[in-house]
Amino acid sequence: MLTKRILILLPIIIFMILLQSFFWVPTYDEQVRGNPHRLEEFITASIGDAKILNPILNADSASSAIVEPVFDGLIDRDENLRFRGRLAESWTIYEEAYIYVNPQATMNGKTITLPTAVRELILNEKKKMKDPGSPLVDTLNNIKGIEIIPSHKGEKEITIPGPDKNKDGFPDPQKINVRFNAPPRLKITLNNVDQDFFQNIERILGKGYFDTFPSEDFIEILTEGQEETLSTVAPLVIPVTEHNPVIIFNLRKGVKFHDGHEFDAGDVQFTYEAIMNPKNLSPRVPDYEPIKKLEVLDNHTVKIVYKRLYQPAFGTWGMGILPEHLLNSEALRIEAEQKGEAPDEFSMRNVDFNRRPVGTGPFVFREWKSDQYIVMDRNEDYWEGAPNYKSYTYRVVPDLLTQEMEFYGGAIDNYGVQPHQVARLKKDSRYQNFSGLSFGYTYVGYNMRRELFKDKRVRKALGMAIDTDKIIRYVMFGQAERITGPFVKQTDYYDKSIQPLPFDPEGALKLLNEAGWKRNADGWLEKDGKRFAFTLMTNGGNDIRKSVLAIAQDSWKKIGIDVKTNIVEWTVFIGKHVNKGNFDALILGWSMGIDPDLYQIWHSSQTNENQLNFVGFHNEKADDLIIKIRQEYDYEKQVAYCNQLHRIIADEQPYTFLYVGKWTAVLDKKIVIKEYAESGEERIRKITPTKTGSYTFYFNKWIKLAQDPVFEME
Amino acid sequence: MFSFTIRSFFQKLVTLFFISVISFLMIYLAPGKPSQIDPLNPKFTPEDLIKFQKEFNLDKPLHVQYYLYYKNLLTGQSKSWKDNQPVLGKIFERFMNSLWLFIVGTLITWCLSFPVGMNSAIKRGSFFDRSSTFLAYVLISIPGFFFAYILIIFVVQTFNIPVIGMRTFGMTQADYIYQIMDKAWHLVLPSILGALGGIAFLSRYVRAQMLEVIHQDYIRTARSKGLSADIVYYKHGLRNALLPFVTMFGLILPGLIGGSVIIESIFAWPGMGRMFFEAIMARDYPIVLTLNFVGAVLVLIGTFISDILYMVVDPRIRL
Amino acid sequence: MNNQDIKELHQGLSEEVSRFTESWRIFKKNRMALWGLVIFIVFFVVAVSGLFLTGGDTPILDPAKVRLSEKLLKPLTPVDSEMINPEDWPIFGIYLLGTDDLGRDVFARMMQGAWVSLTVGFVAVGISVLIGIILGGIAGYYGTLRIKFMDVLWLILFSVSLIFLASGQNDLAMNSFLITILLILFSSIYYVLSAKGRVNVSVVKLLFFNTFTVDTLIMRFVDIMLCFPTFFLILTIIAILPPSIYNIMIVIGLTSWMGTTRFVRAEFLTLREQDFVSSARVMGISDLSIIFRHMIPNAIAPVLVSATIGIAGAILTEAGLSFLGIGVPPPHATWGNIFSDGKRFLFDAPWLTVIPGLTILVVVLSFNLFGEGLRDALNPKLRKR
Repeated sequence: MLTKRILILLPIIIFMILLQSFFWVPTYDEQVRGNPHRLEEFITASIGDAKILNPILNADSASSAIVEPVFDGLIDRDENLRFRGRLAESWTIYEEAYIYVNPQATMNGKTITLPTAVRELILNEKKKMKDPGSPLVDTLNNIKGIEIIPSHKGEKEITIPGPDKNKDGFPDPQKINVRFNAPPRLKITLNNVDQDFFQNIERILGKGYFDTFPSEDFIEILTEGQEETLSTVAPLVIPVTEHNPVIIFNLRKGVKFHDGHEFDAGDVQFTYEAIMNPKNLSPRVPDYEPIKKLEVLDNHTVKIVYKRLYQPAFGTWGMGILPEHLLNSEALRIEAEQKGEAPDEFSMRNVDFNRRPVGTGPFVFREWKSDQYIVMDRNEDYWEGAPNYKSYTYRVVPDLLTQEMEFYGGAIDNYGVQPHQVARLKKDSRYQNFSGLSFGYTYVGYNMRRELFKDKRVRKALGMAIDTDKIIRYVMFGQAERITGPFVKQTDYYDKSIQPLPFDPEGALKLLNEAGWKRNADGWLEKDGKRFAFTLMTNGGNDIRKSVLAIAQDSWKKIGIDVKTNIVEWTVFIGKHVNKGNFDALILGWSMGIDPDLYQIWHSSQTNENQLNFVGFHNEKADDLIIKIRQEYDYEKQVAYCNQLHRIIADEQPYTFLYVGKWTAVLDKKIVIKEYAESGEERIRKITPTKTGSYTFYFNKWIKLAQDPVFEME
Repeated sequence: MFSFTIRSFFQKLVTLFFISVISFLMIYLAPGKPSQIDPLNPKFTPEDLIKFQKEFNLDKPLHVQYYLYYKNLLTGQSKSWKDNQPVLGKIFERFMNSLWLFIVGTLITWCLSFPVGMNSAIKRGSFFDRSSTFLAYVLISIPGFFFAYILIIFVVQTFNIPVIGMRTFGMTQADYIYQIMDKAWHLVLPSILGALGGIAFLSRYVRAQMLEVIHQDYIRTARSKGLSADIVYYKHGLRNALLPFVTMFGLILPGLIGGSVIIESIFAWPGMGRMFFEAIMARDYPIVLTLNFVGAVLVLIGTFISDILYMVVDPRIRL
Repeated sequence: MNNQDIKELHQGLSEEVSRFTESWRIFKKNRMALWGLVIFIVFFVVAVSGLFLTGGDTPILDPAKVRLSEKLLKPLTPVDSEMINPEDWPIFGIYLLGTDDLGRDVFARMMQGAWVSLTVGFVAVGISVLIGIILGGIAGYYGTLRIKFMDVLWLILFSVSLIFLASGQNDLAMNSFLITILLILFSSIYYVLSAKGRVNVSVVKLLFFNTFTVDTLIMRFVDIMLCFPTFFLILTIIAILPPSIYNIMIVIGLTSWMGTTRFVRAEFLTLREQDFVSSARVMGISDLSIIFRHMIPNAIAPVLVSATIGIAGAILTEAGLSFLGIGVPPPHATWGNIFSDGKRFLFDAPWLTVIPGLTILVVVLSFNLFGEGLRDALNPKLRKR
């Protein structure tokens, strides 16, 4: 019966056709089936899609992951986390220090008002100084030259914090117009940046040289009704001393953008201007705000002068450099016209470039299909040599389970392993795995403004009562490490000799007894008739923090502390509790960069509402060190300061530092590093992580082989 | 026939209008704002929020927004709020993706359901009937996601083969035949799931309908006349039982949009069901409204087709 | 008449049996349906006992106790007596169905989820059946009544004022409410007067001309509701409303009444023409009484069947919503939640997905089999000839 036969056979045939495709499809072991190019392609996955592929505008991790291979910065960090040059071949850092000539200064009873006189004084001292060992020798030897800037007049507008506060609690800026009559100034060029320069020079110029400088004499307030601001405004307009660190970058020649246009200093200048352009709303502005002036000295040299000492500024030049010829105002205007939009409102945030970026990096952008994938091709003309992989695909796979399954099937080359899976996947011989420590840590923070937590011994005891190793073992499945201070553990800034708090409830009780807390009849700790009780908070949506919360509460209950817990939704947590200092103790985490500048988190000036030192940590020595660190351009000195700061913080225990998470990634075993020896011969070696745990450092040298590799005995 | 078409057309236009109003109201009156104008979103400054509000016309009164939205839709200018791409373009792309799944699934379902259901009805109470009934019930009752994951675990762990998505990644430069085969393979699991569920459901109906028909006198007469079972049932019986399926057939059109959000989510199939779900979560109003609208249009077209087919198949019916 | 006489009268006639016994006899023969009923009863018992065993402050089976050192244990693993206090031990000292990633007893969570599934199923279907019977009954019984133009007017105005209210334009809302009330007053006066035959002004009569019938109105409404793919409708509403168990029940109920309406309407249409209804009307029994005491019991058969199957569907829908992440929010444990929480551990702890999946399968299957058996039993056409 024809109908019957069709009804039955048709679907079966269709199904058979579909089923037999099974034999044509590449599997994990046979990834090359029908597709030899698979070996030259690297496929990775991410949970979220990228948003904007512009290095000065992006703010999420997916966009950053794409921006990195497409763009180059002037510098980046090498395998030891030290700076190395990329688009900049070399650089020099020196300083221009400014001193206003103080008309009221006296030296040996005589007043020296002439700038020339002051200059002579300093230069003579320099010539005289013979004996090394005196601190002044280094300072004076550091001086390269002194110039005199004659006095001049002018008008200027300056912004200061005003008396009113805006809705976030920060003071509204207020603009004041001034007329100034600046006295002569000395510009002293130093070979190296020296943050102690002025203290040392004062020894020659006479004590009090800087303190007695009358800035107010040289200023006149023009804005009506604002005369009382004179004392605040004057030192800002006429600062007696000023550090101006200078960085000169010598740029690499012969580097081309992906469209063939040659890279030069103008692109660096353009990138800076684009960041500072308010129309672009770049989130990077605070990093570049300290720049006073960026000059193009010639096609391949850039000079950047900073307003004040700020060492982290150097690291900001890892920023991807934008092609000026594609994004300048002319290009923007043309694009606005093409799209029929108003040119005034058309900024860099609206351009197509953000979806089709062009940079100088090792990979050239090819295509972006929203929520599906982004593909990049190898840059054959890359200045460092083309990478081995021909193409780099970034897949958007929102579900971790799906990523895992695709990894097993050979459709994704790597996979970030979750803590509970680490044991199973590490043992699996089909994959190679790498682990390292994250950049960040989890902690318990105590509100030091509250009576309970003011005593150092109490904070230390609270920390000793928690069995952090147990947390690491059970909550993190062993995928974390103890941490003792606020620096990244892999760097030199972190003092590895500092031991973590031992788990010692008895010792904790002893400390608490010393601080006046004794057990009462019910078993709770009591002092002056009051029970030791407080509330521990954390944010919702994080199972790990919830577990830590439960463990902490339980541990403290065992030594007689009555702790209530509270889990609050993230925005409410931050808005109503953290930002307002409205909490007893909380569990939170920081994720950070390598840079050791801790000003925002630990300086005592940052303890107001909406600022990051919400525990209220206030320690003068620490404040001092923090400022020194962010102004120190010498690596060794900076490391020394950091270690000292680490020691102080570990001793004070404003946080109980809990742990830093470990990440593990599995990679297809067939991916290896392919290098060429001088003889031109090809050599394959295993991918090994760098000292800091990063395994993707030599990514440009990776390639996939068709079968499992066999390595020569080394 | 002609007057029916005209009448029907106008009735459906009116219905469409009501649907457009209702779906518009549902979305716009709901709490929760699109993420771009959410004041709690830390990424955007207050100026950004105002700019977005203006751009999305959210500051205008409701009826103006309604008018503007539909004007945009019909002139093809509607843009998604998430990435500023034209809505119709996005929907069309996903539509093509869903289409394959839909075609394969529907073909298999509708072809196989009839023999299975009819055989069940003809041999009522036999082993075939009882086991296929039981199997059908199991397939209807199993939660879709559960079944999907079981299949996936089995296939992935045994064969180490990719099953997610529309195609295996990294195949763009393979030979054409391999690419086609690859796409075919990725169709297999999702369409098995869809087809099995569909067959289970439909074959029950076929069985029920055939049971009614089989006990009619004319069937008994035909059999006693000596006609073969196949001819009697497939030629005479099926035709008379076809009526409700004709109506159903018209209504499968909106299944294109419905797809299945769950299956598409699990297999990361970039289809319209998933797009709808994501748009709702992100409050991407243009996409949600457009999809609702398109869905309604499809349903109305479907009912129209059903009505026409109904009249064609059964001459007794005059609408 | 006494019993003796009745017996004599009935001699020679076939045995008189009640409808219930007759249906039960047919039902019993369907083995699968019987199993369905058995499992249904078991489920009911389990769910209710689950409510008691897992509720309160110190439940016997604690679904919320977090035991961090006992994560992801296989089923039938005994509790680690050293690490865990005796008061936190699971029943019998072993984890019957294993633990999840927070160390919670899966068995206890499944018991708690049973109650939630039961409630969601019954309440949702209850709502949809209620709406279905009311709307279908009205459409079927009063179907030919024509709505007057004036009434259409104030109905539209009423909806418009609701819309204004919802969009925050309160003054416009006030105005339209006022006009609506005026119109209602006007038409009530008209009805009262015209019943007494006192209206002669033709213009006013025009305003009350007949438009479509009640039946058309209700059926068009059903059609419009059918135009929204059910799952999408539920998704849209749930994603928009704040998540809560009650919202989910209400939404599922509000989106699945269409089928019942159609059944009831069809049954009423047939029943209305039957003799017993016309004779009841002639006898002067009120409409309401007819509907509730005579017609509904006869129309109930398809409603029961679709209700049973509806419960199965509601449970599946709820599980699906939980899987997508927009189902019943914590702290309630539902089977869908347990599955979707356990999804992350698919390769490492498969019991977290297999157990809820299988359970849902078995329960839904039993409902479906029971419902089908019910349909066969109540269907007069399948009775023995």
